[in-house]
Amino acid sequence: MTWLPTLGPLGLAVAAAVPFGILALYFLKLRREPVEIPSTFLWSRTIEDLHVNSLLQRLRNSLLLLLQLLVALLAIVALLRPGIRGNRTLEDRRVFLVDRSASMSAIDGDDGRTRLDLVREDVLSRIEQMQDGETAMVVAFDQAAETVQSFTSDRRRLRTAVQSIEATNRRTDILGALRAADGLANPRRSSQVGDLNDVQVAEAKPAELQIHSDGGFDPVNEFNLGNLVPMYVPAGQANGRNLAITAMMAGRGMDDGQRVEVFATVANLGTEPATSDVSLLVDGELADAASVDLEPDEQTGLTFELQREDAVTLELRLDETDNLAIDNASYAAMAPLRLVDVLLVTPGNIPLETGLKTTEASSVSNLVMADPSFLDSDGYALDAAAGTYDLIIYDRCSPKEMPSSHTFFIAAIPPKPPLDVSAQDDAPEDAETERESEQASDETSREESNVAIEIRQAKQWGYSSDLSSMQIIDINRTHPIMRYLDLYNLLVYQGRALESPDGGDDLITADIGSVMTIAPRDGFQDLVLGFELVGTSDKGESTINTNWYAERSWPVFLLNSLRHLAGAAQSGGAASYPPGSSVRFRVDAGTKPVEVFLNGEALATATPSPGGLVEVTDTEQLGIYEARREDRILYRFCVNLFDPLESRIAAAKSVEVGYKEVNATNDEVESRREYWRLLLVAALGLLATEWWVYSKRVA
Amino acid sequence: MSTATEPLLTPALLARLERLELVSRKVFRGRMKGERRSRRKGQSVEFADFRNYVAGDDLRLIDWNLYARLDQLFLKMFLEEEDLHFFALIDASDSMRFGTPTKLHVAKQIAAALGYVGMCRADRVQVTVLGPDGARAPTLRGKSSLHRLLGYLDTVGGPVSDVRSENDLGSTAAHNISLEEGVKEFSLRNSGTGVAVLISDMMDKQGYESALRLLIGRRMDVYVIHVLTPEEIDPPLRGDYRLIDAEDNDQAEITINPAVLQRYKQTLTHFTESLKQFCNQRSIGYIPVRTDTPIDQVATSYLQSRGVLR
Repeated sequence: MTWLPTLGPLGLAVAAAVPFGILALYFLKLRREPVEIPSTFLWSRTIEDLHVNSLLQRLRNSLLLLLQLLVALLAIVALLRPGIRGNRTLEDRRVFLVDRSASMSAIDGDDGRTRLDLVREDVLSRIEQMQDGETAMVVAFDQAAETVQSFTSDRRRLRTAVQSIEATNRRTDILGALRAADGLANPRRSSQVGDLNDVQVAEAKPAELQIHSDGGFDPVNEFNLGNLVPMYVPAGQANGRNLAITAMMAGRGMDDGQRVEVFATVANLGTEPATSDVSLLVDGELADAASVDLEPDEQTGLTFELQREDAVTLELRLDETDNLAIDNASYAAMAPLRLVDVLLVTPGNIPLETGLKTTEASSVSNLVMADPSFLDSDGYALDAAAGTYDLIIYDRCSPKEMPSSHTFFIAAIPPKPPLDVSAQDDAPEDAETERESEQASDETSREESNVAIEIRQAKQWGYSSDLSSMQIIDINRTHPIMRYLDLYNLLVYQGRALESPDGGDDLITADIGSVMTIAPRDGFQDLVLGFELVGTSDKGESTINTNWYAERSWPVFLLNSLRHLAGAAQSGGAASYPPGSSVRFRVDAGTKPVEVFLNGEALATATPSPGGLVEVTDTEQLGIYEARREDRILYRFCVNLFDPLESRIAAAKSVEVGYKEVNATNDEVESRREYWRLLLVAALGLLATEWWVYSKRVA
Repeated sequence: MSTATEPLLTPALLARLERLELVSRKVFRGRMKGERRSRRKGQSVEFADFRNYVAGDDLRLIDWNLYARLDQLFLKMFLEEEDLHFFALIDASDSMRFGTPTKLHVAKQIAAALGYVGMCRADRVQVTVLGPDGARAPTLRGKSSLHRLLGYLDTVGGPVSDVRSENDLGSTAAHNISLEEGVKEFSLRNSGTGVAVLISDMMDKQGYESALRLLIGRRMDVYVIHVLTPEEIDPPLRGDYRLIDAEDNDQAEITINPAVLQRYKQTLTHFTESLKQFCNQRSIGYIPVRTDTPIDQVATSYLQSRGVLR
């Protein structure tokens, strides 16, 4: 506290004499009411006893006098102009950029206050130090910027704005905030260069840009500071302890659909060595654990393996607490069973239809049935080309061309693919021309590309035996489609052995050869069964060729086919997004609203667009988000921080903004913070109180 | 201050007072035949003593029965019943003119009540104010003299006088003499003994002790009726005041706050306690009376309980 008296020595002396004057006036001009009493005898004796401290007695309880003295003292102190040293910036306009990203939730200090709490306090004190006439603006930013308060000199509004800033879980991108500040400090040229009549009217207004952040963002180069004078006020300490999960991914094994593999990266982004246990929770229950011991700036990878066929949720958790809690947990999930569209083309096959309409099968598939004549329609051609169906089952019939779908042929083989010579590097003509030529003359094409024909012929589907009775001798249990199947009791009246293209996998082998084979085709899989389930006699009656549909293995086989052939069970894990992302996904058509759940708790309800597109924007919280409709999980995604910049706990010593490195310095000059106004206001208040007390007494 | 306009004694009170009598703790010689036992031997039905006949004695007093038995002349002496001298001394200084009703009015009521009791019992009653006006006080006997008593009292303490006016001669109020002077003047005027009741607020800056000593020096049976107003006992004053004494125009500037008030009450308590102690030590009956106590209650049950009446 310093003093800057406005009065000279004489003035000060007069001012100091004022209280004594008031006291003297009090005693001299004390307004005493004359009262006649029977005798002053007793009163005199009373006063005599009090004579020793009569002065104090007179002052005692004289509230009015005390108030007057206080008013005078406050006025005198105000005249002395008390003030404290404060900080004054160079500019009279300030822009407070307040970082509210995930890293600002870090606990700094022993009192459990977060980095953002400290920043808020700092900014509030700077607002308090603002002089009259200075204006300021508050911009909060994470990956997006929000102008919490535009330029104003009203400190109350500025304080309210700063207090309203809450930490988010988002990453940091300061560019938006810089642009918000830039818009006011550097007005764009609105006038036409060279036109004398068109003058620039918007005046450039320099402003001080105070960046209150821990510096956890990338250097911003595509930005011109212009009239902005940057100042970096680092938030947080230079040291800290933070272990972070910077990556996590879950997927199913390539060869084993049951195996779930979890990969994670744990990094020590603090400044001290750290040790922690890492727990893997599957569907909320501890499934596995590991331990990490990392030096600063070290990272390690963790791998977990689980045998889980269902769509599990996974949470990886660091058990030790550190300065930043948000990066101590990460989430992953296996994608839920997908609803697949199945087209069954059959002249009539009750066992097959029944098997595809079981409750289990219906829960993962939409079945559409058609007669073989449908294959000649335009509708089929469109659907086949567009890949509308995930699986097309051809029962005793075959299309002209293979569709863009997985297929299952029963007692039929896929058609021969069209000639494709595009594989040849020295093809003189483009593919379209070739296709035309192929259609024009098959023979000519074959002659032109003998090698290609040989290759194609080697890859064709075909029968390797005539129709004959057969005995099953082996099944391939390792294939997902054949899982849980026991087919040794299977009786088949007659069938044919199959010839498959390269890459084909024999699933059922009979004495005559492979009778069920699966082979890949351009990203699709074709499953071919070499025997009929039901047949048609010459008389047109249905005949039975096998007892498979009466076996327990039949619906299991169909379900396996839907899951693994049609793709209901996706092998991948759910996608992960950073917090605050807008996540869009497609659910099956239909505009019935879907409910969005976060970690099992209802979050929101979203209505899909007519195309089945759902957008979830409220993704601030980390965790596993699920879109459900009638308890069926339609889609699942995770929100994780996974940002080493946010997790790096130590505050940066400098930041780079617009090719300018801004060090954590204090570009301020000292200024006085004066209190005489406050004192005068207090004196006035006291005066009013005194008047009130006086009126009350007189009344 | 207020002026009493109500009658001093109501008929109902008079009727009750007729059944009472004044109590004298001492036996005095009276002047005339009365209803009270006297030290003097005389004519009454109450036997006192025998003594030898001496020439010149009244032959009517000789006990002839004894002469017949003993052949000696004895006089049979009876107690004489005489009147009692009752004096009621009213302090009529200006300090007595305060309160509602005023202390003076209450003092006059008490004096009139006691006087009437005495007159009913054929006592010799003199109700007088201290000061020069005391000389006009009539000495009264018999119930029929009540109007004279009341007439005298009506002349005491007329309208409220301005204490600062020296020209107000129409009232006794101007004669603010001290207790001592008033009692001395009274003593000079009245030589006899008897019951003396001093009715005053005792607020005399020169002290009450000498006045009381004068009375007991006259071997009187003295009672002090100490009259105080509720305002004196618990003053309703708060704040800054210039207090003006009604008698001597003395002024005291004082800021009355709870502490000062507390102190005042202590002083008052100390004053009354010392007065009471002074009286007790000298067989003076001390009777404090608040002016807000109804006169019926004071004149009958209160004074009875204090032994002034029975």
